[in-house]
Amino acid sequence: MESFVFYIFALMTITGGWIVIYSRNLIYSAFSLLITFVGLAGLYGLLMADFIAATQILIYAGAVLILLLFGIMLTARKTSIEITQSNLPRLPGAIISSLIFLLLMVVIFSEPNWNSATNPGVRETVPMIGKLLMTKYLIPFELASILLLAALIGSVFIARREES
Amino acid sequence: MDNISSLNYFIPELTLTLTILVLIIYDLFLKKEESNYTVYVAAAGLVFTLVMLLSSYSNVETSLFLGMVAHDPFSFFFKFLFVLTAFFTVIISSTSLEMKGKFHGEFNTFVLLITLGMFLLVSATNLLLVYIAFELVSVTSYIVAGYLKDSKRGSEAALKYVIYGGVSSGIMLYGFSLLYGLTGTLEIAEIGRILSQNNSGNLTVLVSFLMILAGFGYKIASVPFHFWAPDVYEGAPTAFTAFLSVGPKAAGFALLIRFLNTAFVSQDNVNMASWGALEQLAWPEIMMWISAITMTLGNLVALKQDNIKRLLAYSSIAHAGYVLMGIVVLTQDGLFAMMFYLSAYYLMNLGAFFVVLNVADRFGSEEIDGYNGLVYKAPFLAVCMGIFMFSLAGIPPTVGFIGKFYLFAALIKGGSAYYPLAIIGALNSVVSLYYYARVLRAMFVRGEAVDSEMPIIKTPVAVIGMLAFPVLILGLYWAPLSDFAHASLKILITH
Repeated sequence: MESFVFYIFALMTITGGWIVIYSRNLIYSAFSLLITFVGLAGLYGLLMADFIAATQILIYAGAVLILLLFGIMLTARKTSIEITQSNLPRLPGAIISSLIFLLLMVVIFSEPNWNSATNPGVRETVPMIGKLLMTKYLIPFELASILLLAALIGSVFIARREES
Repeated sequence: MDNISSLNYFIPELTLTLTILVLIIYDLFLKKEESNYTVYVAAAGLVFTLVMLLSSYSNVETSLFLGMVAHDPFSFFFKFLFVLTAFFTVIISSTSLEMKGKFHGEFNTFVLLITLGMFLLVSATNLLLVYIAFELVSVTSYIVAGYLKDSKRGSEAALKYVIYGGVSSGIMLYGFSLLYGLTGTLEIAEIGRILSQNNSGNLTVLVSFLMILAGFGYKIASVPFHFWAPDVYEGAPTAFTAFLSVGPKAAGFALLIRFLNTAFVSQDNVNMASWGALEQLAWPEIMMWISAITMTLGNLVALKQDNIKRLLAYSSIAHAGYVLMGIVVLTQDGLFAMMFYLSAYYLMNLGAFFVVLNVADRFGSEEIDGYNGLVYKAPFLAVCMGIFMFSLAGIPPTVGFIGKFYLFAALIKGGSAYYPLAIIGALNSVVSLYYYARVLRAMFVRGEAVDSEMPIIKTPVAVIGMLAFPVLILGLYWAPLSDFAHASLKILITH
């Protein structure tokens, strides 16, 4: 049963990604990203990472994707249907990415020493994450907030019209 | 050490953060024409940070924040360089014509934010913190690279920078994830311990390392991750180019040193290069190739440049190749030589870019032909630029020569396997002489005397002088710098 659910989510993730790349319409691409994000959230859920699954939906599917759509619709002069994308040149790209894929597959399947965690079963992860963020991972947590501040100021700065 | 007691050692970073916040708020109260006043706040904050940094110096390695951050002489060395770089950059940017009428408050804030990111980048001992600090430096740099919004070159630079940066940090993250999969930890020291215990899995380690190198190589602009450098250096405001060419590059090297040294190099024998878990992977050979190709490509392409900023960009790629020679041996001698060379490079490259900025402000040219007869128009600038060029080319009596000497000495001491690289490095130095000499010829030989009186802006000239003087003095008496670098060789290993 679990592997069946896994394959459904995996299929969603890959199909979504496929459409993102191959659709010529940017809006379709953006929407199929939603399928990928939901599929990923499902995969996190299967790994017993409920909090990450929830934030994946909230932040990526909820916020990032909406922003992306707004970005596409508001910045393009043309109406949505005509916005296209192309990924050229195809052949070198295909060769390079298949080689990298092959290499990674060899790495993943030939490595005998993967550090495999045992399945901890169903548990509440939110309190654990909260505790870790305030103890061991305090500095990365605070630095991430500074990073977001920098990005915020930067995006406002870039968006601001320069009067000359 | 737990979080609360770690704060005692963290005062420089806290001061810097506080300065950033004060800057942001202070800037809100200023009119746009007055935004230049923020330079005083930024400079005062940096001086204060420097004082705190000096007073927090300790000769022992301490692990802070439950093993997240290292407080050791090694990180102190680089933090010291970063504070000075940031200080000179904010001072010089406030006088730059290119930045006139632009938003200085934001510029200074961004420079300080990058400095904070670099502080943590050189002291992080956990891959999660490494990544966040890395992104803090990168994201902020993207913004400043496109600071001149009315210039097309600036926008192109920022866009290229974002795309290359995003791709390379993505690859680096994948490398981190492979390492995490192997060891189940993000602590660099712990990763090293576990990897040295299970000997198999070399292919995975090698692949993850090459991927991580994509991120580090991007920061230090080594081949094949150097493509962004010339465009970004050309398009960014020159004051920031100067900052970018020394600060993040040195931070990238520091990160690389700490990472390799902590995770892979066994410390049992300090004089012999012992690559620990990487022994079977031909890692020194890979680094040798990267180093050789980086310096050769940088120097050969620099030959053809007519724009001085692009020339210095390629020259800085070549210099990354020289410094990588120290990584190839990774003995204590090699590390010492790298640190010495990086500080020498800091002085001369920062100085050279500041001269470029000043010349562009006063004579309106960034082409080498614009330097014709500079010695008649601005003798002091021309002499300083001459010193920087001599030093970059590695000609005595300048600090660049001493630095290069240490690098080659470390390489040759490492064994006969490294002789080919030493020969390539020597040949490269000769090639580089040609294009540095082109600038010298333009300044001193070509052009004729003119008596057009140009207004001299005092501050940048003073800063340039402050950088040129040590280049000469340290070239004759380098004991202070080499003592400092020797004392800073203590890198935190375990916690």
